[in-house]
Amino acid sequence: MGSLRKKLREIKEYSEVAEIGEIARRYFAMNAFDGVLTIIGVLMGHLSARIDDASVVITTGFSTSVAMGISGLWGAYLTESAERKRSLDELENHTLTDLSETRIGRASRFAVVIVALVDGLSPFLASAVVLLPMMFSFYVGGIMRAYYVSLGLALVTLFALGAYLGTISKENLVLSGVKMLIAGLFAMALGRVM
Amino acid sequence: MGKIRRLVLDVLKPLDPNIIELSRILSELPGVDAVNISIFEIDRKVENAKITVEGSDINYELVLRAIEDEGGTVHSIDEAVAGKIIIDDAQTPQDYLG
Repeated sequence: MGSLRKKLREIKEYSEVAEIGEIARRYFAMNAFDGVLTIIGVLMGHLSARIDDASVVITTGFSTSVAMGISGLWGAYLTESAERKRSLDELENHTLTDLSETRIGRASRFAVVIVALVDGLSPFLASAVVLLPMMFSFYVGGIMRAYYVSLGLALVTLFALGAYLGTISKENLVLSGVKMLIAGLFAMALGRVM
Repeated sequence: MGKIRRLVLDVLKPLDPNIIELSRILSELPGVDAVNISIFEIDRKVENAKITVEGSDINYELVLRAIEDEGGTVHSIDEAVAGKIIIDDAQTPQDYLG
């Protein structure tokens, strides 16, 4: 228990040193938004093409979610590693010492891992949540109804994401939620027209 | 073996962690009773600090490791006091020359 408490304190210190909170929040919101919008596109495409086999929608949807997750994870890992290394090298030029084994160095490496995980998991989980009604299409009353339930869930997720950003920026939560919602409605409208 | 009672170190450290955090870390070392850190020069990325550590039995290696773990470098040991009590340096006529 003592070592767990010590580990948690270490994680908290690394988060403060490397300012992970701000970056993780930004990547979470941005990538979850991307994930939901992408799946709206997938759903609208299938709906317009009148695909009535839920397994096709689920397969396409989850393949897309996995690809987004890998893209987020890999991309964030490489870019964050490069940026953190550049910052550490610049600091080492000033201190004239190797900082890789200091708390700053460890915090940097920890930050890279956390940011990559957030960047990978947020679009995957957000899009997976939207696809859930498709997996239970039998229980929601058939595939056509499942499409609309999924799209409705996408809008709710976007609103919740917007409201979350509103709590961070201390703006009106409903207004922030609606701003995100508009993007989803726009994506749906364009998908319908195509 | 004589115990180290006071050390005064000239340290170059990154701005983060700040001196509040560093003084807290050093004060928690065994044998350390008090820490004083003052900054005498600062630039965009680093600052020069005078670190005074006093205690009943200071372990210099632990102090050095703690400073280095926070990204700092000890440039010089400007004062060391050891023994049963803490004494300041004695005044001599040569101190007033120049």
